[in-house]
Formats: sequence, structure tokens, C-alpha cells
Amino acid sequence: MSSEYTGLSRRDFLRNGLVFGVGSSALSAGYAAVPDVFARAIFAAKQAGAQNDKVLVMIQLGGGNDGLQTVIPLGSSKLRDLRPTLGTVADKALPITKDLGLHESLAGVKKLYDQGKVAIVQGVGYPSPSFSHFDSIRVWETGDPTRRQQDGWLGKTIAANYDSAGHPLLGVACGTTSVPGMLRDLQATLTVIDQQQTFKFGGTADVDGVMGTLYKHTPGIYGALFDSSMSSIRDTIQQLKTSSTKYTPKATYSDKQNLVYSSKNQLAAALQLASELIVTGTGVKVLHVTLGGFDTHYTEMQRHSDLMAYFDSAVSAFYQDLAAYGQSDRVLIATWSEFGRRPNENASGGTDHGTASPVFLIGDPVKGGLYGETPNVTKLDTLGNLSYAVDYRAVYQEILNGHLGVDGKAILGQSFDQLSFVKPAAH
Amino acid sequence: MQDAPRPTDPKKPAASGLKPTRRQVLAASGVTMAALVAARLAGFKQLTPGVTLPGESTPTPEAIASGVPTTQDWVSPLGKPEAQVAQLLRRATFGATPTEYQTAVKDGFAKTVDRLLETTPADPPVLAGADEASRDKPIKPNDLQSWWVDWMIKTPTPFAERMTLFWHGHFTSDYRKVTPQTPYIYWQNLTWRKMALGKFRDMLYQVTIDPGMLRYLDLGQSTGKAPNENYSREVMELFTMGVGTFTEDDVRAAAKALAGWREPLTPAMVDDMIKIAQERGRPAPRNLSADTVKTGIFEQRNAYVGAVKYLGETRQWDTNAVLDKIVAQDSVAPFIVNKVAEEFVSSAPDAAYVKRLADNFRRTKYDMKSLMKSVFTSPEFLAAPSYRALMKSPTELMVSSAKALAVNVSSQQIARAGDGMGQGLFDPPEVGGWPSNGSWVSTNNVLARVNFAINTLSALQSVPAFKNAHAVQLDSVVSQDTAQLLNATTDDASRWLILLASPEFQLK
Repeated sequence: MSSEYTGLSRRDFLRNGLVFGVGSSALSAGYAAVPDVFARAIFAAKQAGAQNDKVLVMIQLGGGNDGLQTVIPLGSSKLRDLRPTLGTVADKALPITKDLGLHESLAGVKKLYDQGKVAIVQGVGYPSPSFSHFDSIRVWETGDPTRRQQDGWLGKTIAANYDSAGHPLLGVACGTTSVPGMLRDLQATLTVIDQQQTFKFGGTADVDGVMGTLYKHTPGIYGALFDSSMSSIRDTIQQLKTSSTKYTPKATYSDKQNLVYSSKNQLAAALQLASELIVTGTGVKVLHVTLGGFDTHYTEMQRHSDLMAYFDSAVSAFYQDLAAYGQSDRVLIATWSEFGRRPNENASGGTDHGTASPVFLIGDPVKGGLYGETPNVTKLDTLGNLSYAVDYRAVYQEILNGHLGVDGKAILGQSFDQLSFVKPAAH
Repeated sequence: MQDAPRPTDPKKPAASGLKPTRRQVLAASGVTMAALVAARLAGFKQLTPGVTLPGESTPTPEAIASGVPTTQDWVSPLGKPEAQVAQLLRRATFGATPTEYQTAVKDGFAKTVDRLLETTPADPPVLAGADEASRDKPIKPNDLQSWWVDWMIKTPTPFAERMTLFWHGHFTSDYRKVTPQTPYIYWQNLTWRKMALGKFRDMLYQVTIDPGMLRYLDLGQSTGKAPNENYSREVMELFTMGVGTFTEDDVRAAAKALAGWREPLTPAMVDDMIKIAQERGRPAPRNLSADTVKTGIFEQRNAYVGAVKYLGETRQWDTNAVLDKIVAQDSVAPFIVNKVAEEFVSSAPDAAYVKRLADNFRRTKYDMKSLMKSVFTSPEFLAAPSYRALMKSPTELMVSSAKALAVNVSSQQIARAGDGMGQGLFDPPEVGGWPSNGSWVSTNNVLARVNFAINTLSALQSVPAFKNAHAVQLDSVVSQDTAQLLNATTDDASRWLILLASPEFQLK
């Protein structure tokens, strides 16, 4: 009862669903009507069982998350030697197999893991790794280890598969001020919302219309960028007005985290906004949020533990909220980080930039369990780093093909061994 | 997003001599009277309740229309001396008050460049309590931010502040990791200002042993026995040579070679340590005393002894030898010049231009003042393609708004608003500092910029007269829609809002 139902491919469906929004001139008159029409279409499709209402939420663990402190090999004397202080984290780990445990602060994730809702892909990396934050971030963002591409893999996905021009909430970054590299694409319209409560015009109600006039046909190299931003701002403000009245969180989100320093991202608030956009049927397909502070060159034990606890509490609340709204079957949560960290601890009780690390995939669409290979700390490369087992683009491929149902090869340029962490669509 | 071909001869801007009447402009832009009425009724008067508005008799600024572009690009006015000077002030400083603009126009471009470069930087006032920052009395981040913003607005030497901001984004640190419980982040700002226009190599040494930097990139924690690679990587990748110009072995070698520095202690920090020991029931650390310097202190016992191979040379290294070796690399001059050009000339500087400036930079032994002079006096700086080719950073936007209004805009408000536009001072998003130009544009940030204009005007007791602000601030070059709105608006508060929130004013 799936793909034949509408007789349309997902792409056609979305294009047709958005036909009202096509053409920017039409927007100024009728933009407020578009999202609701779209939302109704989505829900109608969902009730009939069409598999075209999936949502992806990417969580960036910025700075390079230490995989060996996150999914922890148990009983490795070699790891204890390499990590005299940090290695003790294994003593309190939450075992998921006899050889592996999750960081003790990941109790909520562990609970979901036990329910089969978490897939962990171990040893994810790419050939000829870069140890530069920026370089490696770009590799992950573009899906191109050769560092030639500019557009983000999700920006490309949006541009190639959905009509974002009249619908800026297809791709949204929450809890940040600038467009994340993964979503960047000149052909895609994207929205960035740092805080929902400030995402509106000050002054009188008329400012909206005046700004619409002021940011129109703007000349120069930044003109199109300005104008499309303003158009998206006006659409988004209208949409948030509607969605905020329809949504009350059904879980407890808390950003009151006692982080030693560094992350200014309000991860829980960002995920709460993500939830609002998802459950109120705004038609959002791809969301990006960030938790920074993982560049733990010194006194890592406490810092990393705090970050794990923050991640765990925010993600748990997000999942519970979606589930309470009956929407968790649509949403795949995926983590990414530019690299893992060196197995060998440094003098400051921290770790320097490394290579492979695990990726978490969380949610009802996931076929839970372990994928990839546990990194082998007894076989480090000449720089003392882990070897990767899974190309990160294989993870992307499964997200694209299995979850979003789009052509992964068209986005990634090639095919990779299949990682089947997404449940097959129900037939 | 590609721009249309630009007029190549700056002396012949397309709209030069064209002074359409308001009626003509409106007709040309296809604006109906209905739209005009809508704009007039846009409620600007209610925007600032309680504000004393000037009478309706303010003349319609017909001159605003003189630069209405006929192509998809801005019509460059850079053939005109006053536009050249205005561009200089927008880029080398934070824009201009009407008075500063008049002075610079009277002096002319060359003399203004000399004045900006040659006037000894004025020091900001002391930030009360910062030197004595401690666990119990930390520096308040908003105080620190507004202290600097206030000085950006008021300083008699704004070029020094602009360069200090440039270096703050380049050799960056954040108060979160450095913590406001020491004076380090405050000291760093004072040091960058002092070093900003000297020799790059001298500054690089001060950067390396800067207490805030020692903490931010962990060099203060690194020892020869177990080196920390954070600073050794970033000093090459982000500060001097650029990514891909060195190997992982070089990172490891430099980490060893640079190890041995520690942070200096202030009397307040020593008191803190004694108090903490007491609280924990431990004896106070022995031999604890405050240091007299405001830079890192080298502890030979923590250094690495022995030869290592670094950038192709094997020897016993020390910090100065490492920095000399770095500065001797071919990649350094183009790397710095490219970054300067992206912030002061063009978002995509031409390779030949960068090479020319870089060669000159090397010849002057990396003298920053000479580099900036060669940038401002290069033909590229005033060429038509350079017009509005750069985006103001949030700080530049807000400080230039305050200067344009030439009234007292709250520096605390500016400091607070920076976060929401993506630029909290002393709080960069990452070790690479802030992005530039087009990266500043997102729905969130454009909205925050518009709201800053609204909030700023709303907070004023009275709105200054608009007069010829469109000429002073925008060179009278505006889009049809901006012209239409300005022409259709009859009160100064509304005109200021249109100007400050306009796409034109976001650019420099």
C-alpha cells in the first residue's frame, strides 16, 4: 500500500503539494496559506500510508567527539594504557554487549537502544583524514572527502528533490545564527532560527510589508541572497505564529546544564523548536542543530561527561515529545562530528584530534543495533590513530535511500556498501 | 547570484547626471499610488511612541533618486571624491558621523588615509575591576563587550579599533574558555591594539605567549613530555600558513618545540588559589606568588630538550626559532594578505592582486601599516567592482548605525544584540573566528539586523534630523525600492529606519 498509492513519486508529490507556492510574486499575497495547505497534504498522505512524510534531524557534535569515551570498549588493557585517566570511564559504562558500553551519562539513549530504536555505526571515517576542524567539517558537510565540492549534501538533497523556493521551512537550522554547511546550496531556500521568541519583527505590524518592499530586486552580488532571506523571514514568521499556537511540549526540555565551558548552543531549545516544526505539520524535511564544545584538548573527563549528559537529556526529551505527539515514526535523528580523537591521552588530561568515531541513529525508523566495526586500539596507524571501518557516505546513503527515499547516488556521486540501519518500509 | 557586468569606468556611472524627479522615478519603478499610500500608512509614526517627530514639512529627498541603478548591479559612484572617502571610512573605520564625513571630504582621500594610518592609536579607558578579576569578581562579559563597543563609537582613532577587531577575529579567543575570572581576555584586547599595526612577526610572538591564548589553545598546558597539539596546529593552519601547507609530523614537532609556557598569576588569582585550598581543607600551594608580567612565563623544566625535525629542518628549537621558521614560509604573506583583502577590498580577491600585495608585504618585512596603506591606495580599492562588494559584520553594522545617527546609542544594547546576529564580541563561534561577507546572511541574521534598527530608533528620546543622510551614508546610490520607500516617507524616524535596515546600509 505504499508507492502505488498516490501514483506519484515522492518528488512529484512534493512538487504538486507546493504548487501554490511557486513563483515568488505570488508569495507576497498568499504566502500564509501555503504551509497549511502543504501540511494538510502531508497528513492526508500519512493517513493513507504514503511514505513521503519522513523527517531527518542532524545533530552536530562540534569540535570532534571522542568516540572512545562515547561507545567504550570494555576490558581493553591497551586502552587503559593509552588513557591513564580517561580510561577509567569504562568502569561505569552502561554495557550494551559484553565488550562495549555507552558512556554512563547516556542512560536515555541506552534505554532507547534497549528498545531497538538506536543504531550505532562504529568506526566511521574517510580516507586520508584531515585533522583540521575546518577541513574535516567541510568533508562531512559536502559529502566529498576530496574537498572539491562547495554545496552541502543536504542542501543538494533539498535542491534536487523538493521545491524549497516557496517553502523555506523544508530545510531549517535551529539554535544557530548562520546556515550550517550541510544545508548550504545556492539552489535551496533555507531558514535559520536562533530563538523562536525573537523570530519576529519589532515595531508595528506594518514593518513586515515595508521590509518586503525594501528587500526586493536588490542589486549587486548579495542582492538575491538578501531578497530571498527576507521573503523566507516573512513566510517563517507567519508560520511560527500558527505553529506556536498548535504546540505545547509534551516532554521536559532543559538547557540548564552545568557545562564547564564552551558550548553556547541551546541544544534542548533547538530540539524543542524542531519538534514544534515537525508535529505542527509545517512540512519540514531536514533539520540541523548543533552542540559544540567537543574539542576536549584538556580536562576532558568532566567536560565530555557533561556534554554527554546534555546530549542525552535533550535527545531523550525530543524523542518522548515526538512519541507523545504520535510522530516519532517519521523522524530519524542522526549525529555527526568532524572526527574522533586520538586514543592516546595528552598531558592535560585531554585528547588531540583523531580519526574514526561512532555515528548514532535514533528513532522509530531505525533498525537498532551495532553496525560497522569496533575500532581496534591495538592496531593504530603510524600517527597513533584509529583506522576507519565505514565510509561516512555509506551512512548518508542509507539516510537518503532508506529514510528520505531519494536517490542517494545522485547526491553522493557513487554508491557504497549498504548499511541497513533504516527499517524497510512497511508493505 | 552572479552579478551583471559592471561599468568598468568609474568616472562614468550609468546614472551620473541623471536626476529624475520623484514622479519620474516612481513611474519608472512601476509603483502605483496604492503602493505608495500603503508605504505611507506603514505605521512608522507609531513605531516610536512618544517620540517627538519633526513636522511634515521636511522636504522630500529627491536627490536620493540620483543613483537608482539601471543594471542589476549598484552603479558605482567611486569616481566622485566624496564617495571614495566614504568607502574608506566604511571599511577602514566603522563608518562616519556627519561631522567625520565632512572633515574627511574636506581633507580628501590621500590625506585621510594618512591621518588614519599615522595617528597614534588612542588607548581605551581602563575597564574598572578587570585587572583584579577573580573567581568572586569575574569580568561581566556584557561589560567587557560594551566597554569595547563604546570605544569603537567614541575613539578618535577608529582605524586602530577596526584593526583590533580584525585581529580579534584572526587571533581569536573566547571568554568562555579563557574565563572571565582572570584579566586575560581583557589584556588580550589591549595587546592586540598595541601590536595591530606593527610587524606581523612581533605580534605573532605576543600572540603565542598571550595569557588568554595560552589558555584558549592550551599551550599553557603543554609540556615537552606530553605536548598538547592545539596551538601548534592552529598557529600554522589558522594564524599564518593555511591548511595543507604542513604535515601532521610538523604539528607534532612544533608541539614539542613550543612546550614550556605557563600562564602568569595576578594577585587576585593567587588569593583565589589560597581560598580554594582553604575551602578544600588543603594547605595552600607552596611558593605561590603573583607574577609581575602580563605575558606567559617560560619554564625550562617543562620544555622539550632534543632535536626535532620541523618544516624540513632538524635542530633544537625554541619558540622564537619556530616562529621565525613559520614566517619564512612562502605561504604566510598570501595567507594574511588574502584575509585582509576579504575584509577590506573584495569577497573574492583576485590572485594577481593578492600576489602583488603579498610581495610588498614580504619586502616590508611583514609591516602591517605598510600593508594596509598599500591596500587602501591600490586602484582595486576604489575600482567599480569593489563598490558594495563587502558585507558589514554585525559589529560594523551596529557601530556604523550609532555613528550615522550621531546620538548616544546604548553600547550595552549593541553588545547584547551582537549574539543574535552571529557576532558576540570575545565569543567567536569557533577557533577560526567569524565568517565574512555572504556568510553573515541568514534569515535569522537579516531579521536581527532589521530589528536592531527598529529597537535602536525606538529607544531614542528624539530622532535626529535625517537631512542628507542618504548622501552621507549611502552615497545617494539606492535601489528603486529603497528610493521609492524613502520618497514616500515623510517623517525622519521612518526614513532612518528605512536607511538603517536597508540592504544598502548592510554593505560596505
